[in-house]
Amino acid sequence: MENFKNKPLIKKLGFNRIILCGVLILMYFVFSLFSGRMLGSGDIKNALNMADYLGFLALGVTFVIATGGIDFSIGPVMVCAGLIAGRLLVTFGWPLWIALIMCVVVGCLFGVLNGILVAYMGLPSFISSMASMMLAKGVGSVFTHVQNSNWPASGEANSWYKYFVTYNGIPTGLIFLLVVAVLCTIILNKTKIGRYILCIGSNREAVRLSGVDTRKWEALAYIICGTLAGIGAITYVGVITQVQPGLGDEFNNNAIASCVMGGTSMAGGVASIGGTFIGVLIISLLRVGIQAMGFRPDYQYIITGIIVALAVFADIRSSARKK
Amino acid sequence: MGEVILTMKGIDKSFPGVHALDHVDLEVRRGEVHALMGENGAGKSTLMKVLTGIYTKDSGTITYEGKEVEFHNPKEAQEAGIVIVHQELNMMNHLTVAQNIFIGREFMKGILIDDAKMNEEARKLFRQLGIDIDPAEKMGNLTVGKQQMCEIAKAISHEAKVIIFDEPSAALTEAEIEELFKIIRDLRDKQLGIVYISHRMDEIKVITDRVTVMRDGGYVGTLITADCTKSDIINMMVGRVIYEEPKTHSMVAPDAPVVLKVEHLNAGKMVKDVSFELHKGEILGFSGLMGAGRTETARAVFGADRKESGDIYVNGKKVEINSPEDAVKCGIGYLSEDRKRYGIVVGKSVAENSTMASLLDFVSGLFIDKKKEVEVTQKYIDRLKTKTPGVDQLVVNLSGGNQQKVVIAKWLVKNCDILIFDEPTRGIDVGAKSEIYHLMNELAAEGKSIIMISSEMPEILRMSDRIVVMCEGRKTAEIDIAEATQEKIMHAATLR
Ligand SMILES: Nc1ncnc2c1ncn2[C@@H]1O[C@H](COP(=O)(O)OP(=O)(O)OP(=O)(O)O)[C@@H](O)[C@H]1O
Ligand SMILES: [Mg+2]
Repeated sequence: MENFKNKPLIKKLGFNRIILCGVLILMYFVFSLFSGRMLGSGDIKNALNMADYLGFLALGVTFVIATGGIDFSIGPVMVCAGLIAGRLLVTFGWPLWIALIMCVVVGCLFGVLNGILVAYMGLPSFISSMASMMLAKGVGSVFTHVQNSNWPASGEANSWYKYFVTYNGIPTGLIFLLVVAVLCTIILNKTKIGRYILCIGSNREAVRLSGVDTRKWEALAYIICGTLAGIGAITYVGVITQVQPGLGDEFNNNAIASCVMGGTSMAGGVASIGGTFIGVLIISLLRVGIQAMGFRPDYQYIITGIIVALAVFADIRSSARKK
Repeated sequence: MGEVILTMKGIDKSFPGVHALDHVDLEVRRGEVHALMGENGAGKSTLMKVLTGIYTKDSGTITYEGKEVEFHNPKEAQEAGIVIVHQELNMMNHLTVAQNIFIGREFMKGILIDDAKMNEEARKLFRQLGIDIDPAEKMGNLTVGKQQMCEIAKAISHEAKVIIFDEPSAALTEAEIEELFKIIRDLRDKQLGIVYISHRMDEIKVITDRVTVMRDGGYVGTLITADCTKSDIINMMVGRVIYEEPKTHSMVAPDAPVVLKVEHLNAGKMVKDVSFELHKGEILGFSGLMGAGRTETARAVFGADRKESGDIYVNGKKVEINSPEDAVKCGIGYLSEDRKRYGIVVGKSVAENSTMASLLDFVSGLFIDKKKEVEVTQKYIDRLKTKTPGVDQLVVNLSGGNQQKVVIAKWLVKNCDILIFDEPTRGIDVGAKSEIYHLMNELAAEGKSIIMISSEMPEILRMSDRIVVMCEGRKTAEIDIAEATQEKIMHAATLR
């Protein structure tokens, strides 16, 4: 076993990521067994739809968690972006492509706000992101006069935004997410941005004493996070079409759970985009699988809770043994 | 010695409640090693932090290469060629050695970081310095000594003209110190100006050209090292003469009972079949090179690390120690060598730290008895002569040596019968050191038993009643103080 773990390829992929993949596959068969039918393409499609927008949120929040911070505003920010851009499109008649760009802009602006609050003004990220979460919900409701934002349904004019999720049965959303995830991996592991973000999470004072402007890089983590939430909004509206104001909190928990399950440390300094990606797939499959088994979705919370605790525990144990 | 490269004149700096620097002067020349000395809390580190832009001075001037300068952050100082190796290690444990060394000035390939090149450069740097460390290793996996060497390598890798070493040797073994001195001599020959802060008198005589002495935030004077004796310097530092009597024979009564017996202890890779006995009122010295497994032995006895096998007897009774909690219940206290990581909670006050291990004794009803907490804390501040403006001062604001005293206070408050001191005087000035020695002797005379792990040979010979020597995880010798010599110990410490 130890030998196996130390093989260069295994080390590179990450042992616990491989385990997670195993868990994912196992879950699929367990659900198939207990729901009395193989989970078919319909279920898979549901799971992937959820994984799409959840994935962007989770990728983003991975950067923030890597600095040792947290962002509870991502879900509501995503919903808020969908609301605002939807109203611009439908009520104000803005072109679709500009509306989509607005999704990203709104997300990015919230990221900038969080970045300033945390990095430059020194607010604890827990508090500041709570504040911007409420702000996002409020702004979304006010802007739409507490109405749904109804994006064009498929088949109608201006519905090509749905191609970001599926196109002729091809799960373009998954491909989109995968491409962004690869980009995120490169940013996190290969560029200065990622390096400093991880460093800040590991030992902020050391980075500062090395003459690096920690505030700038920390703020950047929140901006990346917000922007990805904005991009997530594009797939969110693609899946959901009718956006309701006031929602979004539960996405936070699912996104953060995906991260942590994937091996990103809440204490900062250690993060894995690949882990986050698999975490997202697991959480989405869990949601769909539990429904397929005929339970109410509430049970998903219980099971997700247990799985997250187990995953983190396993991770802590394996890194403790290495010492 | 060449021309003057750096002059600090009339530097003044106050923190709330502390006048840390009071018109201090310092002059450094090219090609000299300049010692900066003074008791704990004298203001040495603060002066250097003012110089490198970490703190802003209240008044005074800094002239560097003929021009008046003021650095606003460490980066500006670095770019001008002034770098510092800090007293407290500042490492990112999750990153590799090379990534730590080149933080802030990564090698790039377009927009991507070139880790391979960084490893290569770090390897070159280490080879040039004669240090054996793998640049791709995670920093957190290295020993404190190795981490310190990395920090030194990092400072040197800058194109520096002035390098400040703030107690670089505190965590190093004798061999590593030799390496360090070789490196410093090289730098001096390249006409760099070097500031060297240390509490070890012997080192000052060996490596430095001039000494500037500070006392209580003030400037006392500057001497040529070759022209003065150790006691001259000590006199200037403390304003009194300190006399140390080395131990020649054991102070333990021959019939003193065994309070702690460890048999065939095995734990991890670093502790192999270690057995020893500790008598009542004894100071048992643990000597050996860094990495000999002394700390690991102590941690295993204390229950901080898991042991594979071995029995522990306290007062003749076999005990199961599986956690520090168990150990404390058996009356064992452990003072960690790495106070920043294990010893103190820096963001808490002196009082909170002092009572941390024995908080239950300070609870009356539901609440913590603040008055008693303050009283007891003050008692130990007085007894250890800890320099702090009050019991409420945050430990992070104390000087390194005074932080160490707070850790000692913590275990004294707990009133343990068996105390394990791991490098108890690391980073402590001569005055405070002799106070701590006195204290340890007093404790032993009161019937407490002490295990003292120390890498400083003079300390081992001065304090111990008996000496256990370890090498590569095994006990290689047990020597009574009456027969102990430096040679004997060194021989046992390098037995293969
Ligand atoms: N940030 C701070 N806030 C408040 N007081 C401080 C701060 N930094 C240092 N001090 C105080 O300034 C004085 C000088 O501290 P400094 O760290 O310079 O001492 P030192 O000479 O380096 O001592 P040591 O040998 O123990 O390292 C001490 O009394 C210390 O408590
Ligand atoms: Mg100091």
